[in-house]
Parts: sequence; C-alpha cells; structure tokens
Amino acid sequence: MASEVSMPRLSDSMEEGTVLKWLVEVGGQVKRGEPLVEIETDKANMTHDADADGVLVEVLAQEGETLAVGEAIARIGAEGEAPSGGGAEAGGSGEAEDEPSAEQEAEPGTGGGEAEPGAGVGEPSRERERRPEAAEPDPDVRPTRDAASGAGRLKASPVARRMAEEKGVDLGSLEGSGPGGRIVKADVEAAEGGRQKPEAAGDGGGEGEQAEAPEAEEAAAAGVQPKTAPASGEGGPKGEPEVQELTRLQRTVSRRMAESKATAPDFALSLDVDMTLCIELRERLKEQTENAPSFNDMVVKAAALALRDHPRVNSAYRDAKFELYPRVNVGVAVAAQGTLVVPVVRDADEKSLGEISRQARRLIGRVRDGEITPPELSGGTFTVSNLGMYGIESFTAIINPPQAAILTVGALAKKAVVDDNGRVVARDMMNLTLVCDHRILYGADGAEFLAAVRKLVEAPLSLAL
Amino acid sequence: MRYREALNLALREEMQADENVFLMGEDIGVFQGAFKVTAGLLEEFGEKRVRDTPISENTIVGMGVGAAMTGLRPVVELMTINFSLLALDQIVNSAASIRYMFGAQVKVPLVIRMPQGAGHQLGPTHSHSFEALYLHVPGLLVAVPSTPADARGLLKAAIRDDNPVIFIEHETLYGRRGEVDDEADEPMRFGEAAVRREGGDVTVVGISRMAETALKAAEVLASEHEVEAEVIDPRTLRPLDLDTILESVKKTNRAVIVEEGWPHGGVGANLAALISEQAFDWLDAPVGRVTGADVPMPYSKPLEQAAFPHEEHVVQACMATFRDL
Repeated sequence: MASEVSMPRLSDSMEEGTVLKWLVEVGGQVKRGEPLVEIETDKANMTHDADADGVLVEVLAQEGETLAVGEAIARIGAEGEAPSGGGAEAGGSGEAEDEPSAEQEAEPGTGGGEAEPGAGVGEPSRERERRPEAAEPDPDVRPTRDAASGAGRLKASPVARRMAEEKGVDLGSLEGSGPGGRIVKADVEAAEGGRQKPEAAGDGGGEGEQAEAPEAEEAAAAGVQPKTAPASGEGGPKGEPEVQELTRLQRTVSRRMAESKATAPDFALSLDVDMTLCIELRERLKEQTENAPSFNDMVVKAAALALRDHPRVNSAYRDAKFELYPRVNVGVAVAAQGTLVVPVVRDADEKSLGEISRQARRLIGRVRDGEITPPELSGGTFTVSNLGMYGIESFTAIINPPQAAILTVGALAKKAVVDDNGRVVARDMMNLTLVCDHRILYGADGAEFLAAVRKLVEAPLSLAL
Repeated sequence: MRYREALNLALREEMQADENVFLMGEDIGVFQGAFKVTAGLLEEFGEKRVRDTPISENTIVGMGVGAAMTGLRPVVELMTINFSLLALDQIVNSAASIRYMFGAQVKVPLVIRMPQGAGHQLGPTHSHSFEALYLHVPGLLVAVPSTPADARGLLKAAIRDDNPVIFIEHETLYGRRGEVDDEADEPMRFGEAAVRREGGDVTVVGISRMAETALKAAEVLASEHEVEAEVIDPRTLRPLDLDTILESVKKTNRAVIVEEGWPHGGVGANLAALISEQAFDWLDAPVGRVTGADVPMPYSKPLEQAAFPHEEHVVQACMATFRDL
C-alpha cells in the first residue's frame, strides 16, 4: 500500500509551499530520513526528507507548483506499484497512514521557535550532493502527471472545460484558482492571455535581447527561478519593462513591511556613541583571534544586555495586547537572495561576545549560501540592522512586526566633538537609531533603552561581564 | 403605498370590475383581515361578496373550488400558509386536478391568498414557508410577490386567470412601502421575472421575502467584496421565467438561490437542477443554495433568527462560488 507524502509545515507561519526540486526520480528508491524534495516556504528553501522507505511511485506536485500545507505532493509505495491515478481518492486520507503522518504531525514543532538545529543544519550538505543528478529536468515526471490527470478527475468547472476545449487550452497544464483548487473560467482566460502575449512580444524583440536580471543568478542559486514575462507592445517613454515575479521570500518581505508601516505608529530616537574604547578593544581582540567580534556584534551584545533590563523593548504589540518575552533573541538583518532575511541569535543576553560573533558569522554565511532554515529565522524578539559598511551615517528602518522596535547602526566615522574641556576634537563616532512602535514603546522608555545601549558600547569591557 | 394596501387596491379594483369576484376567509369582513388586507371591503361590497367563514380551512377552500366551478371567481384568504395544510386535500385533489379530471369541461379560477414567513416568534405552526410544497403540484400556479407593485399586479392577474392560483404573501412584507402606479390598471403577467439589480459576477435568485434579502446582500458584495451580483426575483414560481435566470447565469457563470423554506426538496433544489440541466456548460461553480434551517421554526428569538437566511449568509454563499472560505 502506497503512502502519501503531503506538503509539510516547515515553519510556524507556513501555509503553502512551492516544490522546487524533486531529489529522487519517479521509480527511484526512497529511504526514510533521506532527502526527497526541496521546498520553498515563506521563509526559506528547505530539503524535506522522506517519511517512509520504498519507491517514489508518483509525483503529484510538479516542480514550481504551489500547494497548501497538507496537500498530497507524492506517493511512496512498494516497487512496481502502479500510480493511483490521481489524488482524488487519496486526497483526504492523509491521516490514514500511521507512521508517516505521525512523523509529519511532529514536524510543525520543529519550526515552532525552539532551537532544534540538529536536523536542519545537517541536511544541506547532502542536498548539495544530490543536486547534480536531479538538476536536469526529469523526463519521467511529466507523463506521470498527465496519466494522473487523465485517469483521475481533474477539477475544472463546466464552463472552464468548455472554454478550454474551444480555445485549445490544456487543462492539465493549469493551476486552479477556484474553491478546492478547481480550474475556473478565469484560469482558462488567463492561460489563453498568457499564451498570446509572448507571440505578440516576439515581433518587438528577440529572445536574445531579453536582459538577464542581476538578481536572477542569486535567485537561481537559491533554487528559485523568477519568471520573467516581457510586456507586449512598444516600450513607451520608460522603455520595455522587464516584469519579474516575486519569490516567496520577496512576497513575504513586501507583505510584512507594508503591514508594519500601515499599522505601527513609529517614531525614531537617534544618538551618536563614542567608539574609541570599542576600537581599542577590537584591536586587542584582533591580536588574539583572526575572527575578532565586529562592532555590530558589540552592538548586538550591548542591545541584548540592555533588553534584559527594558522588557518593553523586548516585546511585541499583538492584538491590542503586550507580549513580553522572557528570552532575548536578537535578529540580524542580512541582505541576500535578492531579498531580506533576518537570522536570529537566540538568548543573546546570555551568550558571550565571542559566541554571538561566531554565531552571527555562521548564520550570515548560511543566508548567503541559501542554506538557512526556518527555525534559524524564527523567534526573534528584537532586530538590529546595519548599513554602516556602505558609509550610511544614520538611517531609520521599518520595524520587523510584531516586534516593538528595531535598532539601526550607522557607519563609524571621525567626527568633530566638543570634549569636556570645551575643545573641538576628532572622535570615532557611530550613530545608533531606535525606531519604536508607539503602541507599546513610548518615547521615554525608548530613550532610556538607547541610553543604556550607549553606556554599554562606550564602556565595552562591560560586555564581557 | 404599502404592500397590504397594494393588495387591498387589487382586490377592490377586481371586485369593481367583475361582480363574480368575491372574498371568503376567517375574520376578513368585520375584523378586516388578520393583516388588514381586506380593510374597507365589507363596507364597500357588502356581506354577499365579503364573507366571514368558520375556522375550517378545508371547508373554506372546498366552497371556493365549488364556487369557481360554477363560474364565480372566489378569492380565499387563509390566515397563514401553515393552516392551508388542513385544506391540502381540497387544494391538491380538487382545485389542482379537477380541470384535468374532467377533460377541461370545468375550470377552477380560484385564488388562495395566504402569508408565510418567520421572524415574529410565532413558533413552528405559524412561521413556515411552503412555496416548495405548492410548486410541487401540477395544476396550481404559484405567485410569490415581494414588492407592493408586484403584489397588486400579480393579484389582479391571479384573479383573472382561469387556473387555481396559490398566492403567497409574506408577513414581514405587509408593511413595506413601494412605488405603485395606481393609474395603470393592467394586471401583470405570470412567468416574468424581475431583474432587481444588474451585475456580471454572480446571479442571485431570491424567492419571496428573500428577494429583498438578496438585494441587500448584493450591496454588501459590491461595497465590501467588489462582486457585482445580479439579483433576480422570479415573482412567480409556476410558471417560472427560467429564460431570464439562464440568461443571467450564462453571463455570470455562477448562481446562488435564496429561499426561506427548508433545503430538502426546496425551490432552490429544483432550480439548481434546472440550471445544471440547461446551463451546465456555463457554470464556473456548483449552484449555491441558501435556505432556512432544516428544522421546524423555533419560537426562541435568537434561534428563530438563526433559522432563516440573512444578508451575511447570502454574501458568504456568493463568495463561496469564487474561493474557499
């Protein structure tokens, strides 16, 4: 009896996932715990392991397809077992399997916020080993899907069926947007519209002229192929735009940022900190280690210590309630994969400066390599964002909802400062700006916190206590 | 003009125009009707044409059938449609069948007027909606007017029709005001639906009072969901103006039917079948139905309110034809 593989919940906020790559061919051997499929969630790309031993009998979700959590994506069975001919009857039976489903049930906990690095961290190397053989499009896969849609029941409304037949649109190639994934009239119309567009554009410019987006390479590295669709017709004064579909990550960022700006009444507090002693400390640490903590690591550590004493900053405004968090988990904003990712240093207040530095370095590397997993991105209670390396002196950031505040770090620069004796001297200064959600964090509270951070940064030995 | 005044006007006009038209019913004369539809008619037309009867529905309708067979045009009022069940033998076995039984040698131009509907805490024996029951019976015409103008126009048509007509009014609608052109004396025609609101996204068919509910829901759909509903009031269920409904469904590809009666064997069940049979290739979603709850109407106010459709149910049913809710 074949068991079904359903779209796993790989992060606590995941509602649907996109199949990026099948790592096993149809008919290939599957081993429980071995990588089976690469899935893009709202937070990251992840490799999902098989829940059972056997043979990959049938792939129900093709690469690029997006399905809701819990929907069947493949079937694993005994060797020689025939494909069922569609998910129709199998659709609701996800709970019928004993072992695999129990495994899946347990899975959401993995993304639930508690650190469970073991499982997630080990995988990517195996994933990379697997990648080359699965890189080519698998010729076996598509016929299976066609067979499935033929023998089983493809959900399409009567009018969609009639129109598809009239217009010669292959219903099997469409994704239904109606209730229960039913293909409806609008889907057929969209498919027809989409088919005509490239032809029209073909007159205007050859395929070769289509500029490759700079992000395309990064996205491809992350396993995401941004779909580009040239707009038809003459370009107009702006020239012919290249239209890019957002990756799931980019969609998440755009949604959350807009949500934050639209809902959080924010204000910013800004001050410069004297970095003289930090620079001195770092010079000395450099003598001890190749990977001395950066100034950003020092800010993270200082913020973490200050957060412990300022619970309102280490909290969230959610549904007209304050949520104060007992743990101090500081997220570090990282630009990568053509988007923004915030890996989290958990319990940063309890970690030494060296530990924070090593962990941040490792997390940032994993983001850049596209190996970061949802658990490493979840559970943040506060965020630090740094654009100092670009020479930005000071800036405000958008609060990472539902957190109460975000701290931005500017560039380290020599500035003219009036010292205690009234003389103008050059000092190494760095700007810190705290953007607060006024629903939970008021001016005086934010200012007190920021002053505490300054005090710690200006006396960096305190970071070692 | 109010709905009850429009009915009163139609009765008066038809009684003035044809002396064969007369009224029978419980408390319609001296008391002027339980809902005051017959107000002033006893005074104007006298006891011979406005006859108070004993409390015996089967007898009242039976007398009506007999009178109609002799060439009179009786209009019988039953206090609510619930009580008409006592007269079901006369209505189904006599009124609906006699013309067929006797090779059209006799006809039964009888009108049975009665209100239906819930919302007044009158319990299960007073609050049901039975249009589906009478729609079921061949030989009966069924009218379900929802506006004062329709009440007048259709009642005049019912009185002039040579077939027995089940004329279903609604308790909640009696006080509703609406435009009635009292200059125009022409009766309406049975089998002509009204498109109460035009829209291209979903067809909503509202029966009896539910035509009003459907219209309110359509406004919500437009303002909150950017869905333009086309609202159709069939006005008569037999004959049914199916063409207007099918034409709309072919435009919108979606249909939702709203009725106050029970779901099983309801008007919506029947209409959904007709739409599926005749417009299958134009449907983009299963035909939706919004009906009263499948229970005898509760007396308790919150339970009663929960047991018949309101705007939000219609909005939800319409949205369900677009996406998973």
